[in-house]
Amino acid sequence: MRLRVVVAVARSTFREFWRSPDALFWTYGFPLVMALALGLAFQPGPPPQVPIAVVADADAAALLAAEPRLLVEPLAADAADRALARGRVAASLRRQDGGLVLRADPTRPDAESAVLLVERALRAEPAAPAIAPLRREVEDRPGSRYIDFLIPGLIGLNLLGAGMWGIGFNLVQMRVGKLLRRLAVTPMRRSEFLFGYLLGRCLLVVPESAALVGFGALLWDVPFRGSLLAGLLLVAAGGLAFAGLGVLVASRARTLEGVGGLMNLVQLPMWLLCGTWFDTSRFTGALRWFADLLPLTHVNRALRDVMLEPQGLLDAAPTIAGLCAFAAVCLALALRWFRWQ
Amino acid sequence: MTAAPAAEPAIAIAGLRKVYRRGRKETVAVDGLDLVVRRGEVFGLLGPNGAGKTTTVEVCEGLTQPDAGDVRILGRRWGQGEDDALRARLGVCLQETHFQEKATVRETLALFASFYDGGADVDAALDLVGLREKADDRQSQLSGGQRQRLAVATALLGRPDLLFLDEPTTGLDPLSRRQLWEVVRGFRARGGTILLTTHGMDEAQQLCDRVAIVDRGRVLAIGSPAELIRSLGAEHFVDVECTDTSAVGTADLAALPDVAAHELRPARIVLTVRSVHTALAALLALLRERGVGVQGLATRHATLEDVFVRLTGRTLREETTP
Ligand SMILES: Nc1ncnc2c1ncn2[C@@H]1O[C@H](COP(=O)(O)OP(=O)(O)OP(=O)(O)O)[C@@H](O)[C@H]1O
Ligand SMILES: [Mg+2]
Repeated sequence: MRLRVVVAVARSTFREFWRSPDALFWTYGFPLVMALALGLAFQPGPPPQVPIAVVADADAAALLAAEPRLLVEPLAADAADRALARGRVAASLRRQDGGLVLRADPTRPDAESAVLLVERALRAEPAAPAIAPLRREVEDRPGSRYIDFLIPGLIGLNLLGAGMWGIGFNLVQMRVGKLLRRLAVTPMRRSEFLFGYLLGRCLLVVPESAALVGFGALLWDVPFRGSLLAGLLLVAAGGLAFAGLGVLVASRARTLEGVGGLMNLVQLPMWLLCGTWFDTSRFTGALRWFADLLPLTHVNRALRDVMLEPQGLLDAAPTIAGLCAFAAVCLALALRWFRWQ
Repeated sequence: MTAAPAAEPAIAIAGLRKVYRRGRKETVAVDGLDLVVRRGEVFGLLGPNGAGKTTTVEVCEGLTQPDAGDVRILGRRWGQGEDDALRARLGVCLQETHFQEKATVRETLALFASFYDGGADVDAALDLVGLREKADDRQSQLSGGQRQRLAVATALLGRPDLLFLDEPTTGLDPLSRRQLWEVVRGFRARGGTILLTTHGMDEAQQLCDRVAIVDRGRVLAIGSPAELIRSLGAEHFVDVECTDTSAVGTADLAALPDVAAHELRPARIVLTVRSVHTALAALLALLRERGVGVQGLATRHATLEDVFVRLTGRTLREETTP
């Protein structure tokens, strides 16, 4: 690989991107705006009220209403079930066999607060009947706010988006416009092109990630407790991994629609299952296995570790190495399958 | 780089065949084509749309994998581990390329220049194709002809030994076309070899040392433009429009002096002649004698188009229908 050529390809690619304000906005600007909006929506403040359904029991309802963090909704039994199923309430309380039964969906983030709040409200009144016990698991990370959880996840998600949106369409456009085949008849080596290209398209992930960390720190005091260098290397390795994946996804598609579909196929599971929006560390079985297969899971986990815990470079090293290996595999496959025309 | 023996031709194609398959439909694009391009010549592939010119050129460029046949470029074959070294010696202008829209002419050339180890002179290339004034305009601001000239400039950058130009002058105005012809001639004068495709018989005639007339994926005739025209047996046409030709028979036309071929239509007579002044005088005398009025008269020199018509019965503008 000749560095001169890699740099020339990277420069030309970056310039083309830089001069396309719309592409730039949707790849980098929009996620930033979304992160801000989400941050504002979840910004720390007085804890929100937890909605709870109480089935036909005025006494219990009155009891719970004394707890200011509970939002009590008296409902009929079937309406309560429906509300719970739809997630409109975090839990439902009903009298059954002389005791009170609290039902909650343990996968809902506010189920736990609902249980604790109900327990607290009932403990305040010694005469209250015992609640039927409810199995639940305990959050093992030190009590952090949602925004602390969200910011590293959004950085990870943006790395994924940059690799996909930043590369897929543009690369296929170059194929459709027959620019790739023109490049293929020059003495430019295939690897020089792929490497320079993904550098040019993904250089911006570093400043964007820094901006997200900066916003978080400035607006919501989101900490960065670990090694900055580890964070930087993680972002770079993650950017490389997803750029490699982006090139791989776009390596054979012949139409913009085709590559759009493929990108969605690749992104959707990662959006949902990789712990950007909610904690997925308690997944079990096949879901767990699948989530662990997805690179974003590891990026998010490592970014959270380095931001929220005083971790050093050594702690992040295995993930960084893994991401680089993933990028190498993607690029090797892309190089092999790449369609120049 | 090991120099090939001087006798080695720039391009040697033998029995080239390429079939495009889409589902059960097969298109035979090139059907047993043989061709030798010598070093230092401007060689033209002349043929109608769909004749297989682009396919042939792209096989030579290593872009298209042939189904059969042997292709040697500057003494080497594609896919034998020397592809990059070979590409460094070729200059390519594809029939169609969309360069990056937001890049300026100079930036596009600088990118392509970076691929060549010897370094390439962007300004010289700009001057050659007359794009110096547009150097800082973006691709999206260029006209079709200017884009075409940029494509040619990218082909010239690496100081190639062999230049492929696929319809380089399509879409150019007459002045730019002449400029490009000069670029081609200058390139040859410096010892380069050029394979170009064209539908323009005047272009082939004026620019090419030798021409292959291609149709339906085969070479119908090969030679210098003058040789090909001479092969018609007669080099001039006499075309007479008249009132009514029923008084004249084909035997009368055949009996005229220096006539190689004749065509008799209800109100028109076309003769292919070896000598205009003898044949024309005799024809006019014949018409006067039969009382046929002459309404228009034209004579012209035979062109490669006439060679094509003779070989295929069609004109160059009619598409090939395989
Ligand atoms: N990628 C392809 N897939 C299927 N058929 C193709 C493909 N490329 C060319 N063909 C067919 O092969 C034949 C030869 O095409 P080619 O492009 O070589 O012609 P050409 O002589 O360059 O024509 P033109 O003067 O229009 O450029 C045509 O019938 C064309 O339809
Ligand atoms: Mg063509």
